[in-house]
Amino acid sequence: MGMGIRVGVELIAGIAVGSLIGYGLDRWLGTKPWLLLVFFFLGAAASVLNIYRAVHGLDDSVGLGQAQRRKRK
Amino acid sequence: MPQFDTTYFASQLFWLYASFIVLFILLSVFALPKIGGVLEERQKRIAGDLDKAAQLKHEAEAAIAAYEKALAESRAQAHKIMQDNAKAIAEAADARNKAIGDKLAKQIKEGEGRILAAKDEALGHIREISTELVRASVEKLTGQSVDDAQAEAAVTAALGGKA
Amino acid sequence: MANPVEQFKIEPIVPLEIGGVNVSFTNSSLFMVVAVVLATAFLTLSVKGRALVPGRWQSMAELMYEFVANMIRDNVGTEGRKYFPFVFTLFMFVLFGNLLGMIPYTFTYTSHIAVTFGLAIVIFIGVTIIGFARHGTHYLRMFFPHGAPLATAIILVPIELISYCSRPFSLAIRLFANMTVGHIILKVMAGFIIMLGIAGIAPMVFLGGVTVLEFGIALLQAYVFTILTCIYLHDAIHMH
Repeated sequence: MGMGIRVGVELIAGIAVGSLIGYGLDRWLGTKPWLLLVFFFLGAAASVLNIYRAVHGLDDSVGLGQAQRRKRK
Repeated sequence: MPQFDTTYFASQLFWLYASFIVLFILLSVFALPKIGGVLEERQKRIAGDLDKAAQLKHEAEAAIAAYEKALAESRAQAHKIMQDNAKAIAEAADARNKAIGDKLAKQIKEGEGRILAAKDEALGHIREISTELVRASVEKLTGQSVDDAQAEAAVTAALGGKA
Repeated sequence: MANPVEQFKIEPIVPLEIGGVNVSFTNSSLFMVVAVVLATAFLTLSVKGRALVPGRWQSMAELMYEFVANMIRDNVGTEGRKYFPFVFTLFMFVLFGNLLGMIPYTFTYTSHIAVTFGLAIVIFIGVTIIGFARHGTHYLRMFFPHGAPLATAIILVPIELISYCSRPFSLAIRLFANMTVGHIILKVMAGFIIMLGIAGIAPMVFLGGVTVLEFGIALLQAYVFTILTCIYLHDAIHMH
């Protein structure tokens, strides 16, 4: 159950944050809806990144490369 | 879900931060220093006990070393005494041997002197006996008596002119 | 059957308003106060004797102290010492919230997204401030992997940035989701048992198992929340 919740949470969090940033930038720069779209996909990518980390048991430090290095250590 | 009802979001956050700050203050002022103190005290106590144990061990080792030194010393002393005794005994024996040897040598010398004297005496009597023998033999063989002077002269001649 | 989400409903006890904002004292607030009182009582009374050879309560208090202290030492390093009181308070607050919620008819404040997010965002902002205070703009270097081609920055940096910003959300949602799901399962199963009457013996055994599991999750989530805080602190302080 733990891992399932974890994966779902990471998916939601990444996409939500990405979309939120995109939406905010769109409102600020008046570029509706392009940045929202771009950041939605960036957020999805970040989600995948975070899920990849969670599944591989990497810690949550900033940067995938660092987390991998730390795991190897 | 009631969790997404925003009516009480402000209240939730307000009381969350209020209680969290109160807990933070209570813990960092009262509870944590106390627990930390207890742990530190125990740590110190354990460290002290360890130190003491180390010291005792050190002392025990010193005692053992001293004991072993004393043991070695007394052993050496005993050895020396034994050696001295052996030497003394040997010396005494030597001395006695020498004394006895001297005494024996002296007695041997005396004996030799006596033997020499006896020999000389015996040798001294040889002429007399020879003279007597000569005279008696001549008398028996020839029937005529020989005086002492003649016999003596003959003996001296026979002995090679040595008188 | 009682609605399984009924248990999460917030009921005002003392209506209160400050500057036009509704800050009523609610059942949720009540249990926060209870947690504060219990945690403080537990941690002060247990070591009152200052026994050299600890009793059961003192051992538990010492165990928690050393647990968090070791967590900080292992994950943050010696520089993390000054954050110990905060991290410890956080651990206690979440742990007591989770455990109090296991008692029937209580309110689990950690099953509320507003509360978990309120904690997570403070950690996130605090850690980010520490990072920038210690490293200045150099802290931004974290968002670009060492050795990657510079051209990839335009795509990698936003992704890492979003990943970074999603941390408080994932932290908050994780705790909230775990506590909520667990309590809903317990409630639904308890409802079943009551409905089944005598035949409810079998699910009762199962309910016992699930309850044990939920206790494990309550401890684990408090641990996860705390250790993630430590890891974030480590990143902000050391930065590779």
